[in-house]
Parts: sequence; C-alpha cells; structure tokens
Amino acid sequence: MIVAGCDVGALTAKAVIMRDGEILRGEIIPVRPDAVRSATEVMDRLLTLLGLSFDDLAYCVSTGYGRRIIPFADTNISEISCHGRGAWWLVPSIRTIIDAGGQDCKAIRVGERGELKDFRMNMTCAAGTGKSLEVMAEALGVDVSELGPLALQASNPVLLKNQCCILTEITIRRMILEGRNTADIAAGICNHTARYILALLQDMGAKNDIGFTGGIAKNSGVTGSLENALGTKLVEFPVDPQLIGAIGAALFAADMGKA
Amino acid sequence: MISMGCDLGMVSAKAVILDDGDILAAEVLPYRSNPKEAMIEVIDRAIERAGISSERIDRCLATGFGARAVPGSAGDVSGEECLIRAIRYINPEVRTVIDVGSHTLHAFTMDSNGKLWNSAITDDCSAGMGRFIELMSRALEVPIDELNRDSLISARPVPLTNLCVVLAESDVISHINEGYDRIDLFAGVLMAVASRIAGVARRAGLSGEVAMVGGVAKNAVVVRELERKLEMKLAWLGEIDPQVIAALGAALLAGEKKG
Repeated sequence: MIVAGCDVGALTAKAVIMRDGEILRGEIIPVRPDAVRSATEVMDRLLTLLGLSFDDLAYCVSTGYGRRIIPFADTNISEISCHGRGAWWLVPSIRTIIDAGGQDCKAIRVGERGELKDFRMNMTCAAGTGKSLEVMAEALGVDVSELGPLALQASNPVLLKNQCCILTEITIRRMILEGRNTADIAAGICNHTARYILALLQDMGAKNDIGFTGGIAKNSGVTGSLENALGTKLVEFPVDPQLIGAIGAALFAADMGKA
Repeated sequence: MISMGCDLGMVSAKAVILDDGDILAAEVLPYRSNPKEAMIEVIDRAIERAGISSERIDRCLATGFGARAVPGSAGDVSGEECLIRAIRYINPEVRTVIDVGSHTLHAFTMDSNGKLWNSAITDDCSAGMGRFIELMSRALEVPIDELNRDSLISARPVPLTNLCVVLAESDVISHINEGYDRIDLFAGVLMAVASRIAGVARRAGLSGEVAMVGGVAKNAVVVRELERKLEMKLAWLGEIDPQVIAALGAALLAGEKKG
C-alpha cells in the first residue's frame, strides 16, 4: 500500500511517500503564496520523481499550518501528533521532541508507542524561535549559521536577560559599541534561544531520550547550549528532521488506509 | 554660547545645534549598520546647516542607546531628562510625554516644575514600538511610506490577534495568503500599536497637555488612533521634528552647563 504525508509549514512544504512501512522518498520546497499551491507542487514533484500519480496513493494525510485546506488530503492531523509519531518511529527510544522552527517553538512528549502524551508551545512571544534567533544574529551582524562556530570560540558568554529579541537588539548593539567580543555575544545569543526552549521543556517535563527538530536543530550553537543545559546528548535522526512531520502524517495515513 | 545635543538611537542619529537656546540646526539621519559613523555624519550635516565651524561648539551632551559613542560629548544624559527639558522649552503646558521610538515605549508625567511625577515603561516586549511597525511593513513587502499614506484611508483595518512582532508577522503573512488587502492589514497593525501606546500612557496617568515624541509620533494613523483612544488631542509641538526632541533637550542642557 502506498500512502503519503504532506506537511505545509510557514516556510517550507514537505511531502513523504511510504510503501508498506518504508519511506520511498521525501521532498522539501519553499512555500508558495498559498498553502494549496505549496502542497500541490511538492506532492506533484514527489510523485513525478517516483514515477507515481495521485491515483496510486491509497491514503493521504495533511499536517502543518495549512493542513485544513489541502484538497487532495483524505484527512488532516495536527502537526504535534504527526511530529511526535514521526520522531518516535525514526528513533523508538525517543520520549521528548523539541520542534523549533521559524515562528514556533514546541515541546512534545510521547509515550512508549509514540502516542502524544503532552505538549507545550510558545503562544505569545517569539523567544526560542528561529525568527528570534535571526533577529539577534542580525543585530550582531552575522548569519545565524555562523553563531555555532563563533560560540565555540567564546570564553565568557554574555548574558542577554531580555526575553524580547527586538529589545535584545539594543543590548547586543550596545555591547558591540563597547567592544565586547563577537564570539561571547554569539554564545549569549545561542544561550538565549536555548533558555526559552528549555523553559518550555521544564514546564512540560522532559523525559529522555530527547530529539530536536525544526530549523533551529541545525544550529550547532543552540543545540550545544541546550545539551549543556540538559546535561545529555540530543538524539540524532537518520533522515532530514524537516521531514519528520510529513513522515508522521504518512504513518497515520498507513493506519487509516488499512482501516 | 553654542551648544550641541546628540541622540544616537537604534535606527537614527540626531543632532541639534543651539545658539543661546535658538535652534540653528536639527538633523536626523537614519542608518542601517554603523551607529558611530552615522553620528559623525549627522554632526557634520548639522554643523554645515548651522553655518558655523565645529570649533565654535562650546559644549555637547549626548543621549540615546549609543550616547557613550558620541565623539566630542562632555557626558551623557538620560532620555527622560532631555525630553523634560525640551518639552518645557517647546510647550510648558505639557505634563504628559509619550515617547515612542524604534525600541522604546515610555510615557511619563511631570509637575509644573518639570519634576518627574510618574512613569510607565515597557521593557519586556516590543509590541507597539517603531521596530514593530517597520518589521510589519517588511512582511507586507510594501514601502513603509506608501503603507502609512494609504492606511490613512483604510476602511476595514484587520485586527491583529498577536502582538509579538515575530508572531504577528506570521499572522500577517497568513492573512495575505487568505486574500486580505495589505493596506487594511497595515492599518490593523497601526491600530494595535496605538492601543499598546494608549495602555502605557494611561498607566503613566494622563495629566495636563499630552505630547507625543519619537519617530512613531510622525505616523499620522497612530496619532489619529491614539487621539481617538485617549479621547483628546495631542499637544502641538510646532514645526519641530518629533524625532529630534531628545537631542534638542540634550543641546539645551549642554547650553545650561547641566548634565
């Protein structure tokens, strides 16, 4: 049985096709002006790459922020459930997943069978999200990807107390004017983001193993800071973590296709 | 005596030159990356406008986030002190000052002697500040001047549900995808900004004439909505640019050998 999961986020659209419990392939594209177009395009692309057509799909589940309006999906499931399921399927020892992307930051706890147990997400403030990290990196005049390598050279990371990234711009820019070391500020920025991710985890209660997905998971500065704070290594995923939500959706699709 | 006041803010540098309290020059220079350079440039421009040589400046005081980086300054003074001094010079009837800059949202009241009475400040979230407006216009991908002009006649402002700059940005983007008019969206942003400012102003307590200063005071929609919410007219500050008020105060204090 061939099934698909389609995850339309704020920045990227992802699709995964599975056959009999195995991933055939995944595809990621930047989002188009509307969710329907994004979903259709990524799915078309993936089907073409695999030499398949829509008719070959027994079931399709959509997830992500545009999930309710995807016309070809048989049903939609929340990104939190999909994310938890996908991450657990890839790494069965996982109990906690952090998903921090462009605009959101979530903590998800799953049970022994990958079922959703609890979750937390940022509702009113962007601290801990990719955008917040980006704003602070921009204030420092570096690209987010440079934060990790820079943070490694820090000897005395600065403390950025303010939760709001925009107000933190002031602190960062003042530190630059005062001649503070760039590496120390970079480390402070990584710690800032890690701190607000950690706050969500602590509020929910985290259990090992812990996996980290979403755009920020690719930032070695933040993951390093988080590992330090947690005192444990984060799980590594065998596939591109950006696909996890779509994988989870495809797994749900397989359940539903059987029923 | 010729005095100068410099205000090095987060997005613009301002310089005012006075000759015994008469304004010879008041210059504003927006900048992107190098605050020190912008400050030097705006001082040069002010000197040129004043038609004097730089040696003739007897005393200079600085304010703003980068006050310590202002070359030739005899010291730095707080923004509040500068504003009180300048407002008393411009319009002594004013008892309440609302200061909204790119990274500030602050309101205070003073007594008839210019002594600080009460103060309300937001320092945990940047909702309502100038940077909020700027980032929203970036998300809308329309030049800010155009948005400001056109939103004056928006008939259907779209209310913002989230006031975090970053989260509001994603709301706005999804609204664009849903087909909302960009001008109506921006008008909604400005109304939310006005509400935030009104809240802070009320916390400071509104007494006497109320003046608004800072870059956001140049935004006609924000001013109109704020007047509507506070049910009063804001005090007239003459032809003076609301963005140079703090620099003017610094120049006055410098001329009086204070600070």
